[in-house]
Amino acid sequence: MSFEKFLFYLFAAILVGSALMVITRRNPVHSALFLVLAFFNMAAIWLLAEAEFLAIVLVLVYVGAVMVLFLFVIMMLDIDLATVRAGFIKHLPVGIVVAVLMLVEMVLVLGPKHFGLTKYAAPEAAPADYNNTAELGLSLFTQHLYALEIAAVILLVAMIAAISLTLRKRPDSKRQNVTRQHMVKKKDRLKIIKMPAEEKG
Amino acid sequence: MLENYLPILIFIVIGLFVGIAAMGMGFILSPHNPDEEKGSRYECGFEAFESARMKFDVRFYLVAILFILFDLEIAFFFPWAVVLDEIGPVGFWAMMIFLGILVLGFIYEWKKGALEWE
Amino acid sequence: MDFLIGLYDSLPVAIQIILKIVVIMGPLMVLVAYYTYAERKVIGYMQVRIGPNRVGPKGWGQPIADAVKLMFKEIVLPTHADKTLFLIAPLLSIGPALAAWAVFPFDTGLVLADINAGLLYLLAMTSIGVYGVIIAGWASNSKYAFLGAIRCAAQIVSYEIAMGFALVGVLVVAGSLNLGQIVEGQSGGFWNWYWLPLLPLFVIYFISGVAETNRAPFDVAEGESEIVAGFHVDYSGMAFAVFFLAEYANMILISALTALMFLGGWLSPFQGTFMESWFAWVPGIIWLVAKTFVFMFLFLWFRATFPRYRYDQIMRLGWKIFIPITIVWIVVAGAMQVYDIGPWYQ
Repeated sequence: MSFEKFLFYLFAAILVGSALMVITRRNPVHSALFLVLAFFNMAAIWLLAEAEFLAIVLVLVYVGAVMVLFLFVIMMLDIDLATVRAGFIKHLPVGIVVAVLMLVEMVLVLGPKHFGLTKYAAPEAAPADYNNTAELGLSLFTQHLYALEIAAVILLVAMIAAISLTLRKRPDSKRQNVTRQHMVKKKDRLKIIKMPAEEKG
Repeated sequence: MLENYLPILIFIVIGLFVGIAAMGMGFILSPHNPDEEKGSRYECGFEAFESARMKFDVRFYLVAILFILFDLEIAFFFPWAVVLDEIGPVGFWAMMIFLGILVLGFIYEWKKGALEWE
Repeated sequence: MDFLIGLYDSLPVAIQIILKIVVIMGPLMVLVAYYTYAERKVIGYMQVRIGPNRVGPKGWGQPIADAVKLMFKEIVLPTHADKTLFLIAPLLSIGPALAAWAVFPFDTGLVLADINAGLLYLLAMTSIGVYGVIIAGWASNSKYAFLGAIRCAAQIVSYEIAMGFALVGVLVVAGSLNLGQIVEGQSGGFWNWYWLPLLPLFVIYFISGVAETNRAPFDVAEGESEIVAGFHVDYSGMAFAVFFLAEYANMILISALTALMFLGGWLSPFQGTFMESWFAWVPGIIWLVAKTFVFMFLFLWFRATFPRYRYDQIMRLGWKIFIPITIVWIVVAGAMQVYDIGPWYQ
């Protein structure tokens, strides 16, 4: 077994293990942190597949941003675990059936019959100066321009939705108007009056 | 390409190991006398009241959500900047439209007061 | 000497890499230790004090004494804390702070991991650093720590956007994510370094770096007067020391990166002038270290000079001033690059 293969199995094992922990841990914060671990291992596996840019962006966006939001939300909501868990045993058989069905389907569709090495040969390992980011940029900004602009619109919609869902004005709070502070002139604030000198007493 | 990443993997492991070693040394060398007061929550000398798990302003979520969106935007910018010389004016203007749409969102955010902290 | 080189070549690759890492990390750790000493001395002199001067000649033994002291201090585990996460949090903050150095080039070709996505990797590593803070604050299960962590996290993510955009500006001009190539792109002397065409981004990058590392004047996350020490209020002994190490390692990293991306890294400032040959004997790494020290000094100077920002001011600066400026300057830099405007592009 080559070292690369060993790394693949190592990362894959940690990935599956941490994914299991995500759904079995009692504490939601622990679950979220195992999800972070899972993302890391996923990034490592993508890297092994030579998808350099996507692997690092996975860490940057999912670990660095999305999971931070998750943690913010989870830490504040004091989720009552007892009620969440109440249905677990009751629905377990149904859950297992669905899970097994999905597994079988995935093996049938994605298994070696259609995607095996005999159908698609393993691609050549990229040379050391292969620049994944540049390749991606070239195809994204020439062939897929339309998709790019649609992505911008989706991001815009997300931004507006986030603001309209979460933003509330608090009537009782005070705020600073920086422009007005800067516009203040000396004569608005300061008045110099003439008065006779104090007698020494 | 992959052989370039091997040192990074080892570096991350060693980086974590440095932290583990430092804290391990601390645990071995230092005394351990836990007592009730020492282990209690720090609250400036008061008895702790209420749980430390509290609600905080919704603005912090808004910041986190907006951060995700801008982070994604940055992720789009990286490949663009790398190939800017090859894709020329077409690629440049395509990105300007992309940026323009997002600046619209930014202006909306600003006007709505989502960036105000009070 | 030849014997040593032969010995080195005969070692397995993994051992060679580990040796190289030790060569990077050893000086870094010494630098971190003496950076804390320099901080106390510099701020001392700025406040007309002498600073530490008891341990060893002129106080040079102070960092060692501090380390030894912290090692023998009890690591208190708060009763209410989530103990596993409480101990993992410092590791999560030191790991990325050190791992970022893996792609850092010290001279032409003198780099541990010469990857094409170097800049992206750095951005990813800096964005992970926030986990140490959030987890520490949450695991401590104390109000001060939690408030500090939330403040700190929101601040870090806000300034990360400005930092990311500033890096995009560098990329536009350099056309490569490889840090070595970014430096090579600046060759040609002082006026060819990227600080000039990217002046706004240069300033914003460094200030965001200060905010990102939670240093004064952006240190509300540990504002002593409000929330005592913020997210690490419950940490003691070596667990605290690891956070401390991570903070200073991050400061050095930001300084070094600013020098690398905007001030020509290891390139001599006299390139292309009549003085070039006078300084040809200076190795590149000396220039790099000198430039890095300038920014490291700025960190300390800021702390001694500026009063702390209020939280709403910090957020306003990040979102309403830095982000718009960086966006505008990316457009400007992109237009200059595509249409060959300006004296600095070929």
